[in-house]
Amino acid sequence: MNVLVWLTAILFILMIVIGGKKGVRSFLSLFLNFGVLFITIFLMTNPKNSPVLLTFIACTVISWISLFFINEMSSKTMTAFISTMITIVVLLLFIVFVTDKSMIRGFGEESVEEISIFSLNIGVNFVQIGASVIIMSTIGAILDVAISIATSMHEILHHNPLISRKKLFTSGVSIGKDILGTDTNTLFFAFFGGYLSLLIWFKDLSYSIGEIINSKVFATEIIMIFCAGIGIALIIPITSSINAYYLTKKREKTENAS
Amino acid sequence: MQNILKKKSFNKAIFYTFMAICFIASVFFVYHNEAFYDRPIAEVIKTEIKESNPVTDMYENEDHLYTQLITAVLKNGEKKGKLIHFTNDYSTSGAFDQEYHVGNKLFVSIKANTDKNGDLTGTILDVKRDQFLLIVAWIFIFALLIVGKRQGLFSIISLIVNSLVLSFALDLYVNSNINLIFISGVCVLLFTVISLMLINGLNEKTYAGIVATLIGTFISLLISALVLWITNENGIRYEEMQFLTRPYRVIFMAGLFIGALGAVMDVSITMASSMFALFEQNQNISDKALRTSGMDIGKDVMGTITSILFFVYISGSIPMLILYLKNSYPLGQTLSMNLSLELARALAGGIGVVLTIPISLYTSIFFINRKRAK
Repeated sequence: MNVLVWLTAILFILMIVIGGKKGVRSFLSLFLNFGVLFITIFLMTNPKNSPVLLTFIACTVISWISLFFINEMSSKTMTAFISTMITIVVLLLFIVFVTDKSMIRGFGEESVEEISIFSLNIGVNFVQIGASVIIMSTIGAILDVAISIATSMHEILHHNPLISRKKLFTSGVSIGKDILGTDTNTLFFAFFGGYLSLLIWFKDLSYSIGEIINSKVFATEIIMIFCAGIGIALIIPITSSINAYYLTKKREKTENAS
Repeated sequence: MQNILKKKSFNKAIFYTFMAICFIASVFFVYHNEAFYDRPIAEVIKTEIKESNPVTDMYENEDHLYTQLITAVLKNGEKKGKLIHFTNDYSTSGAFDQEYHVGNKLFVSIKANTDKNGDLTGTILDVKRDQFLLIVAWIFIFALLIVGKRQGLFSIISLIVNSLVLSFALDLYVNSNINLIFISGVCVLLFTVISLMLINGLNEKTYAGIVATLIGTFISLLISALVLWITNENGIRYEEMQFLTRPYRVIFMAGLFIGALGAVMDVSITMASSMFALFEQNQNISDKALRTSGMDIGKDVMGTITSILFFVYISGSIPMLILYLKNSYPLGQTLSMNLSLELARALAGGIGVVLTIPISLYTSIFFINRKRAK
């Protein structure tokens, strides 16, 4: 039988055994997210659609699934959703600018052989696709930070109802800092693992440092890692301030009402 | 007390001034470092479009082709200051070509013959990208430092140290005959110890995290290797790695190993931290209570961490998938050629993440009980 079928089955069984109902939901959301990604790629093949706009829509749907399906609709997930969307817009603008300036669009030197049999004039905007790739690879981590901070800040307010807005914000940021370390770590190693063959290729060809740094593949990888880190750092203050604002506003309202 | 505070803010000021100086100096350097490159570099000073034609390829994809005349001035080498001319063909989509603009710096090769004006001609080899890389790197560093302060600094250090370890290990692999799986095993050990100590400091939490990470990673690797062996690698397509002149399988396994590591560390340190926090709040907490709360935390992080892995791996193949689909490649083949390795990596990582939940639950309880006994 196929390797992927086996691995999927093992993952599914493990998730059920260890995670119970929540495990089933997590697995389903992986499946749905994969579906969304897939449909997005299909829509991107039409040159009339802007890849960046499609990416934004895909991110919205993915966040919707991860926040409102795995965790239920509540003020927690709502604030997490809003902060994720804001971060994605900011990050997307930044990334489009960077990919355009540094000319890291399209395919790198390593795939010359593979793409040589294809027609490359396919009318799709590869600058924007480059940006989509970067944002899509970070969305998982951004969502993780958003929901963790929102949950903990709600918890803090619950235990300490009189906390000031500023204190609430600082405690949100300090929770974020802990996640920052582990999440950037997750991404770094995932990228390292994915790029291992490329790194070996560079070493084999004994490229000079200057050649490696300026090559398209390497520049793309590095910029991807950096943008992912920037994204994770960016969402921490954004989601902390939105939660602090929302939670204190809500408190004022209930105080006025009573 | 006030003195300490003053000293602290003074140190901070020194640190930030130092960073700012580094930033300015390095940016200045990278914009004027042509002399340090052996390859000739030219800066574009004039571009002119000579021709533009709409094209339709055999799959009815429409695109626009342009031919661009470029005049540039050489920035280094013996011929520094001389003018050089290129012609550049590019398309609107820019899958493997690109338009150049005034101000772009390019690596070029110079042809021996000169034209009638005494100007040089040549071909464009690559773009000089180091300045953008540096600026993005600084934005990354500042973002992490401003938001994360100490933790941010430690993540940056961890990234640098880990990449050095990896680079050194790969040098070792390329230049000797040591088995890659063995090398990456040693790397995994080093990565885990370095990263977790930097994230969390030297304490029982970290030990519990390290033990759980190592066990979890090795078991998940074992499972993946077993599956690959039982199925005879049916369904795994190594075409993507065809640029390598080395055995694909080992390199793929090593990548699998390292790629899952970060996620597994994430789970084990999150679990260990929260379980130790529970213990510190209430020293008399029973093993059973610890187990239930630990399991709840594990269930919470399971979904998000696996999806981080999925997105990282699958997003990378978007450009290739689009190219295949636009070339009317059959869908099934497109997917299996471009996604099989990524999906295998993501699934193996997911298995590692889920398995690590009970493993780190028990290692944390073990370390908590050891602390309790003291």
